[in-house]
Amino acid sequence: MAKIVLQGVTKLFKGKNSAAVYDLDLEVEDGEFLVVVGPSGCGKTTTLRMLAGFETPSRGVVQIGGKTMNDVMPKDRNLAMVFQNYALFPHMTVEKNLAFGMKVRRTPKASIGREIREIAEMLEISELLGRKPAELSGGERQRVALGRALLRRPQAFLLDEPLSNLDAALRAQMRIELKRIHAQYPVTTVYVTHDQVEAMTMADRVVLMQGGRLQQLATPEMLYDQPVNAFVASFVGSPKINLFPGRVVQDGSGPKVSFLTASYALNGSHGATFDAVSTREVTVGFRPEEIRLATGNDPELPVVKATVELVEPLGSETHVVARVGELVLTCKLPARCGLSAGDTVSLEFDTAQMKLFDTESGIRLG
Amino acid sequence: MTTIDVAEQVMPGKADVLLHASIPTGWKRVRMHKLMVNATLGVLGIVFLLPLIWLVDSAFNTHATASLGAPALSLANFRAALAAGAGGAIKNSLYLAVVSTLIATAVSTLAAYTLSRRRVPFKSTLLLGVLFLTGLPVTLLLIPTYEIFVHLGWANSPFYTSLVLAATSVPFAVWLLKNFIDQVPKEFEEAAAIEGTTEMRILWKIVIPLSLPGILVAAILTFINSWGAFLIPLVLDANPGNTPGAVGIYQFMSANGTVQFGPLAAYGILFSLPVVVLYLVCSRWLNGGFAFAGGVKG
Repeated sequence: MAKIVLQGVTKLFKGKNSAAVYDLDLEVEDGEFLVVVGPSGCGKTTTLRMLAGFETPSRGVVQIGGKTMNDVMPKDRNLAMVFQNYALFPHMTVEKNLAFGMKVRRTPKASIGREIREIAEMLEISELLGRKPAELSGGERQRVALGRALLRRPQAFLLDEPLSNLDAALRAQMRIELKRIHAQYPVTTVYVTHDQVEAMTMADRVVLMQGGRLQQLATPEMLYDQPVNAFVASFVGSPKINLFPGRVVQDGSGPKVSFLTASYALNGSHGATFDAVSTREVTVGFRPEEIRLATGNDPELPVVKATVELVEPLGSETHVVARVGELVLTCKLPARCGLSAGDTVSLEFDTAQMKLFDTESGIRLG
Repeated sequence: MTTIDVAEQVMPGKADVLLHASIPTGWKRVRMHKLMVNATLGVLGIVFLLPLIWLVDSAFNTHATASLGAPALSLANFRAALAAGAGGAIKNSLYLAVVSTLIATAVSTLAAYTLSRRRVPFKSTLLLGVLFLTGLPVTLLLIPTYEIFVHLGWANSPFYTSLVLAATSVPFAVWLLKNFIDQVPKEFEEAAAIEGTTEMRILWKIVIPLSLPGILVAAILTFINSWGAFLIPLVLDANPGNTPGAVGIYQFMSANGTVQFGPLAAYGILFSLPVVVLYLVCSRWLNGGFAFAGGVKG
């Protein structure tokens, strides 16, 4: 059990112009399940490898359990890691793989056997103990790798894309299992993935990284509802948030934002942000579920006419891709909405969650 | 004329040739091609097989000559070879080969691991140097080595002779093993390290078992090299009791100005037996192949 603290951690690789990780400040609470997510090359794996001790930070401090770890060898950090490719020792049976770490740590023989039996039972791999890794399926290897990590009894777990080699059904199952295991052994966990669904479903808090920099650290709900910039907004959520070029202008009654063919009077917190500006280019964001077929119940809401391009019925809901002039938008409509390609529809935008971003910097304005 | 012009002029023709060469026009062409390949291989096979047949034939023939003859099926040649000290010579060869193989394999495994995994200054220069050394003829080193041996009082000692034999094998073994260890995924070592394993134990429990086929190849090559070594033991060890097989075989060719073909062939068979056995034993592991499957691939 340990708290993990990163202070101003930067990692530069030889021959690369930009830092792999830049000035990262992060605190992982004791027992927290933290997911680090981002596109490939965002620095998330480098961050994890610095925690494990496989990479040394170029600048900054890595603390685990209150101890500065910068110069501590991986073997002395008391961590467990699950690798993307599992890294089970191919020349050893499952049992030997599980026992390896305990033998290294000189655990008495009797308790090695007992602990392996317990963990194998919990992970339902008891029948596999005599097999070699090559004779296991992806899911089974995953469990063995997990078992090896659990037997370490570490002060923190590091998981590097542990589900990326599994098929979709198994991945969903293992997500639940990992959560269950974490509830059972609430050890500080840092989980790296590029899959925002894993991040959203499993994390206590999510770190979203891009280009080696931390973009936002928040709970999954906060990340979805209150993204700090356009990148975060578009990374989280499926289908993606709709981003349209827009413009805020002042007229007699106050600030107004115009986008697509619609215009909307800004009020409340949005209005306050733009009171002082005369004209400003913005990016307007609506999540797919915030766009619906126009009801006319609220005449204030912006409405546009669009042409349906693609209908994706998912059973429980329907994703509709529609075109407005040059721009394409995606909306989530109820199941059996009765639309087909080529139809012209009136779409209404729910402005309660409308997000406005600065066009140049992408920073959220309101 | 710019390079682009040249390329444009040359490429179309070249592409045509390649296209025609790589696409056979039909079955006939494929079968003809196969026939040619097999015929060539057959001829080459016979060229290599003939001396072997001669060797076996002459070993059992009391009136063996340089040409093939009907074997008399007698073990007299083997008795003559053993009487001439073949047994002792093979024992000496075994000592030189085993000791030099152990030393060379141990040294080159450690060196290859370090060169593969650690940051070593001037690594590529060093590796190219090692590669260059593999091509250096032993004769070049022999005179200075002899001088050193005499100076240090190491001459006529099978152990120190093995040391030199090991040294001649190390460059190639390092080069071979370095490339082999490069193929072992680093994740295995990282997984072991995070479990709290020391580097020595990682080398012993993870890297060496996973590189075993490569280590075995290096060991066999060293063994064969030392087993057949002629010049080094001839120069460095003048003690007749230490004469290895490759040097001992010489006596049948110069005695009385004639060549005793029968005992020579019998001696040759006896001398090659250990290597054949080694090969048979190891081929099981080597042919079995070795993949890191299951360890890191999904």
